[in-house]
Amino acid sequence: MWMIWDLSLLLSALSLLIMLFLIARRVLQERSDNAAADQRRQLLTALIAFTENRDREALKAVVLGVPASVAIHAGFEFISLLRGEERNEVLVAFHECGLPALVGRLLERGNVAERIHAAEMLAALGSEDATASLLAALDHDRSRDVRIAAAIALCDLGSLPLLGTALDKIGVAGQRSRRLIDLFRRFPRSRFNELAVHASRADAVPFVRAAAIDALARTGGFGFADFFAGLARNDSPEVAAAALRALGLTGHGAAPAILAVAMTNADWDVRTAAADAAGRLGLSELAAPLSMLMDDEFWTVRYAAANALRSLGNPGERLLREMAGSEVSRSQRTASLVLAEGPAA
Amino acid sequence: MIADWSHEIVLAATILSWFIIGAGLAQTTIYLLQLIFAGYALSKRPPVARSALLWHRYGDVAPPIALLVPAYNEALNVVESVHSMLALEYPNFEVVVINDGSKDDTLQRLIEAFKLTKFHRPYEEALAHMPIRGLYSSPMTERLFVVDKENGGKADAQNAGINVCRAPLFCVIDGDSILEPDALMRAAQPFIDDPERTIAVGGTIRIANGSKIEAGRVREIHLPRRLLPLFQVVEYLRAFLMARLAWSSINTLMLVSGAFGMFRRAEVVAVGGFTKGSMGEDLDLVIKLHRHMRDTRRKYRIQFIPEPVCWTEAPETLSVLARQRSRWQRGALECFFRYRAMLFNPRYGRVGFLGFGHILIVDVLGPVAEVLGYILIPAFWLLGILSAEYLLAFTALIFTYGVCVSVCSLILEEAELQRFPRARDLAVLTAAAVIENFGYRQLNNFWRVKGWWQYLRGNQGWGEMTRTGLGGVKK
Repeated sequence: MWMIWDLSLLLSALSLLIMLFLIARRVLQERSDNAAADQRRQLLTALIAFTENRDREALKAVVLGVPASVAIHAGFEFISLLRGEERNEVLVAFHECGLPALVGRLLERGNVAERIHAAEMLAALGSEDATASLLAALDHDRSRDVRIAAAIALCDLGSLPLLGTALDKIGVAGQRSRRLIDLFRRFPRSRFNELAVHASRADAVPFVRAAAIDALARTGGFGFADFFAGLARNDSPEVAAAALRALGLTGHGAAPAILAVAMTNADWDVRTAAADAAGRLGLSELAAPLSMLMDDEFWTVRYAAANALRSLGNPGERLLREMAGSEVSRSQRTASLVLAEGPAA
Repeated sequence: MIADWSHEIVLAATILSWFIIGAGLAQTTIYLLQLIFAGYALSKRPPVARSALLWHRYGDVAPPIALLVPAYNEALNVVESVHSMLALEYPNFEVVVINDGSKDDTLQRLIEAFKLTKFHRPYEEALAHMPIRGLYSSPMTERLFVVDKENGGKADAQNAGINVCRAPLFCVIDGDSILEPDALMRAAQPFIDDPERTIAVGGTIRIANGSKIEAGRVREIHLPRRLLPLFQVVEYLRAFLMARLAWSSINTLMLVSGAFGMFRRAEVVAVGGFTKGSMGEDLDLVIKLHRHMRDTRRKYRIQFIPEPVCWTEAPETLSVLARQRSRWQRGALECFFRYRAMLFNPRYGRVGFLGFGHILIVDVLGPVAEVLGYILIPAFWLLGILSAEYLLAFTALIFTYGVCVSVCSLILEEAELQRFPRARDLAVLTAAAVIENFGYRQLNNFWRVKGWWQYLRGNQGWGEMTRTGLGGVKK
């Protein structure tokens, strides 16, 4: 019993002491924060002046005169507002002041949030050493979020290793992040084949395969239509749905047949994607299978089918009206709801 | 004979004291462990300071979100609240206000302010709720929908909103709360980083009393000027930064606050949505989600992240606070007994053992044991039945460990987040963290025991929540 009492006194006293120390630290920090705010203002003023007078030496003097952390963060914020020649000239000044090396050090030694931000800054600063630092982070950083940020930065710098290698380094756990979609969308056209190869790998994570297909559909265009058509019958519902969405964007000679089959798929996500694609491509020959989907057990599928019929124009609308006027059923209710959608009369 | 009898009294008193001290010890151990887990979780995942960075990083891949705002008799603040929600920084979201049969002119205010017109929007009737009288859209913004329905309570209104919304994620928020502009972006982060497993995310609720509020935004953060809300600031720090963060780090989070929580729609629909008439509909939903995911053997995450902030108004009078705390207690008891089959059930793993064990010790046994202790331990000591050791142990568990836990929560806040703007605020909060253990804590436990009593008597009323209004107007 005495131990409970003694320990409680010790822990309470200790916690109060730590808190007092933190309050004292905060008092000092408030002063240094004011100084940092002044220095930040000074740097931003110098950067604005530089965009007018291009006096690089004056800018360098100010950059070197403020603490590294102020220079890094205010500098990055500023260059993200610039484009073209102006940006390049500011970057030259930053390079001459050694900012990329400081950011590289932050990538090695900062906490997770700082390391992710450092990877983004290195991509913007784009020095020779940046690639090496980012590759090292992709290779052995403990946090998968930092590894993903490093991969995206490397992609922006045009130095991302082969996709398979990069994904291996990111690790399986990281291959569920939507940030990979961002990575794939940044892929240069010259490396689209890597995305295609990965999307067709049966052993790859379905989420990653689907993300690769979505990225190809957005940026790759018609060149991959055959590829999408091939994947539309994939065993993985996630991959098949992504391929069908892609087909909806690119179109394909065999699309009606492929979509008709997909509309009978066991997975509701695949059926929804097929209905969406049929509507987007305006395939009026699919009106009959779309009408069948109006009785689907899943609302999402029924709604997608109804919208697809609506987008077919008059023939589709006529079918919807017929259904809306028929006996009460799932398809009748869906048809009348979709026909009524919009401002009330 | 008398000697035998007094021996039995001493034995009974000792057993009772051991039960009281044991319950206090278990509770304190849980709190200290939570502090360790929370400290570790915060150090592993430091916050991103600037929200502009989040936009740059996640803007292109952020999933659509529906913001569900149940409103009942909110005529006073509803227009300003909706304006502030429409101005949130998120690339793809819609605001669905559900007028839950308000008796005042909540709907009329919305119609006038946003030029609402009736609108037909097909939706899946996946969850049951009171009939919808009409849907409204605004020609001023595509992001606003208003659902006008018959009164059915908060859970019923939220279910109607879930039916009507189309986004894969929805965020529930109270009509009188204020979200920080970047709150959605921050709360969506786990859904971006781990979209397959994340099914719910909770953020921090902070107390706005005393802060300067303009146009539905918290412009300047200040501590409450009154003692009661000031104590609640410390309480909320303990609840969010310590307890929720700790449980979240081991995927045993049992509560995502109904005042600000983000959920994946499909899973919420699969468990039947919010339980109508529940006193703790938020706790109830999270328990159902745990049960569903464990029953279907799916991997999942229910997370708390401290950075997204929702500001709310804390009760400033004892009577209102008492009603709120009794209701929370009834909500916890109702959920505990409704899902009691999960307690220590190996099928539910750490949720059954740790999550339900925590509710058992802290919410079910805790207040009763502590209030019994206030009366019995000093009485036994005064009567000479117990030695001073017992009294000191009980005092330590109630007061000194209480101080330690409250101050340590403040340490976590200051060491990792630094959300209180001035050193003076920290000093005031430290004093509050000490003082609240002498009077306020005891009062709270009496209200919780009252909640127990009301639960046993089957009292299901919410009680009236009188609010001053974040704009400062009585309602």
